[in-house]
Amino acid sequence: MTSAQAEPISGLDVRGDELLVVEDLKKHFPVTRGIIFQKQIAAVQAVDGVSFSLREGETLGVVGESGCGKSTMARCIMKLLEPTSGRITFRGRDITRLSRAEMRPYRREMMMIFQDPYASLNPRKRVGFIVAEALQVHKMGTQAETKRRVQELLEVVGLNPEHYNRFPHEFSGGQRQRIGIARALAVNPKLIVCDEPVSALDVSVQAQILNLLKDLQRDFNLTYVFIAHDLNVVRYISDRVLVMYLGQIVESAARTDLYDEPKHPYTGALLSAVPVPDPEVGRARKRIVLEGDVPSPINPPSACRFHTRCPRFVEGHCDVDPPDLVHRGGSGPDHAVRCHYPLERWPMTVEEMRRAGAAGGTAAA
Amino acid sequence: MALLDVKDLKTYFSTGDGVVKAVDGVSFSIEKGQTLGIVGESGSGKSVTCLTIMGLNPKKYTMSMGEAVFNGEDLLAASPTRLREIRGNDIAMIFQDPMTSLNPVHTIGTQLVEAVTLHKDVSKQEARSRALELLKEVGIPRAERRIDDYPHQFSGGMRQRVMIAMALINNPELLIADEPTTALDVTTQAQILSLIERLQQDYNSAVIMITHDLGVIAEIADDIVVMYAAEVAEKGPVDRIFKRPHHPYTWGLMGSLPRLNTDVGRLAQIQGQPPSLLRPPSGCRFHPRCPYVMDVCRTKDPELLPVSDDRTHLQSCHLDEETKEREAARLLGTFATEAAAT
Repeated sequence: MTSAQAEPISGLDVRGDELLVVEDLKKHFPVTRGIIFQKQIAAVQAVDGVSFSLREGETLGVVGESGCGKSTMARCIMKLLEPTSGRITFRGRDITRLSRAEMRPYRREMMMIFQDPYASLNPRKRVGFIVAEALQVHKMGTQAETKRRVQELLEVVGLNPEHYNRFPHEFSGGQRQRIGIARALAVNPKLIVCDEPVSALDVSVQAQILNLLKDLQRDFNLTYVFIAHDLNVVRYISDRVLVMYLGQIVESAARTDLYDEPKHPYTGALLSAVPVPDPEVGRARKRIVLEGDVPSPINPPSACRFHTRCPRFVEGHCDVDPPDLVHRGGSGPDHAVRCHYPLERWPMTVEEMRRAGAAGGTAAA
Repeated sequence: MALLDVKDLKTYFSTGDGVVKAVDGVSFSIEKGQTLGIVGESGSGKSVTCLTIMGLNPKKYTMSMGEAVFNGEDLLAASPTRLREIRGNDIAMIFQDPMTSLNPVHTIGTQLVEAVTLHKDVSKQEARSRALELLKEVGIPRAERRIDDYPHQFSGGMRQRVMIAMALINNPELLIADEPTTALDVTTQAQILSLIERLQQDYNSAVIMITHDLGVIAEIADDIVVMYAAEVAEKGPVDRIFKRPHHPYTWGLMGSLPRLNTDVGRLAQIQGQPPSLLRPPSGCRFHPRCPYVMDVCRTKDPELLPVSDDRTHLQSCHLDEETKEREAARLLGTFATEAAAT
């Protein structure tokens, strides 16, 4: 992997070990009425005030239900979408308002792996071209070097380098995801944003891809933002985990802290909903079944956005006073939760959650 | 007598490249009130098995053999008219994708009413009140108003509920659910699984649950069929299969599962890809991916035989029983020690 090693970008002020810092990121999509005279009548608050930082070599897992804004957040970090407000600092440089041309040197430092291995590869291009395209865009190496590099990459991700001239349809789902990974690795990026990279794959193939991502991280010191809705997968691959609900972070903690000691009732509900592959444990366990669907992000509930579905909801507090994302007990110092009545222990049943919520309510009153 | 008894079911599709043996000798049976889970990777033939039972494969280019006896009647030999009477009435199916299995140009109400009037001699009003009752039962809020909405006005979880309502509207004796929760979030999945369990208790229906999620199977099934490359690799009661699995493929499936309560250093992965059913491997179909492969596996196709101490547990693998017990114990032991370590 030495043939096209990325040289440091000139003029970069790299300080500390924080690769990516996101501060109060917001992305609102306007909802308009009228055809000629368009008037904004509302906004979809897809991402609403997300902050986190990411050290080099670390994996940040992001979980949440569909529609919670995790993919929009990823696209904002990649600057595929223009954030409404907030700041994104990549390797010490504010990239939030960079133009397309100014952004170009950074593009090869941050790459993306997409969810659907069937839709994210151009069916009319050969694998060699798909993987080499980024190298050509960034003018890295001659034609012969590019070909050598592509074959090297195919080997790294576990494909036969002789398949250079094949088309995507000749590969299975897992193999296509490997091509997507080879494409992301081509320009030696620092950061790879993985948007549900294994959701569309079978468990056995999923394990292959997860192991591959871990190996690549070790070999090339990669930093991942790993988005998934499968909590088991996120536990396996992440160092830290963010739980998102309706465009906000509701809990953020080191992996083991989050899974052993969740503080937010929503995290608790998510964890309890994951089926356990052990019949005895599975039958004994009580699921916390949340009522209803995720509310609309056009008109999110007041104060705590989770209060409409929360078993610990306290009237007059949770729907009036928005909670902050702060440390509220728990093992790790950076275990932050956005809740007035965080869980005291885990596991908990719905009834216990309700009772504690009611008790907290009277105490507050 | 079992409610449904499938014996040596085979489904072959003739394609331009040759004959695809999508299902190649599958047998299982299911009793009233029971839940049977069918697991396997994509392309292992689990969906085709159920489509064949329902008679939903395209007639042209399809050959089905064997028998599927439902209440004493062989479904494979039944006429299309008779099958139409059975489908949606005695046997109902929930499909994987709630986004595409409802008709977008008719309201939910119209589609539910149609399901009733096709099979029962009732008035539109009666059918409508039955539809409303079911929508309430599956937990659609404000069902009186939502019944006249179109599918696009519902979220994914809600559409799946409507599909379940439609499947259950005639109190079927057998419900076939083909990956009913794969397209849904975990929270919605928990809602749907609870719902299916409750309705199953209320109506004493049998459920065949097709899924690739071992977690879902462990929670909901009584018996499991593990399919690999159009054949049954292993089948038996759920506790038995999870506690003492006897097939290397089942071991691989369990090892490749990331778990919530343990930190695993590295997932045990099954090497390679599932084989093509146009030209399945000789001998045992799992042998090219099997870490325990022996010479006999390459030439001789193993039979599906009962395990010596439990006749209900069947498996097809050439390894001797002692090795299997030892390896299963070792594998499950690693999960346990990893759990204890955290």
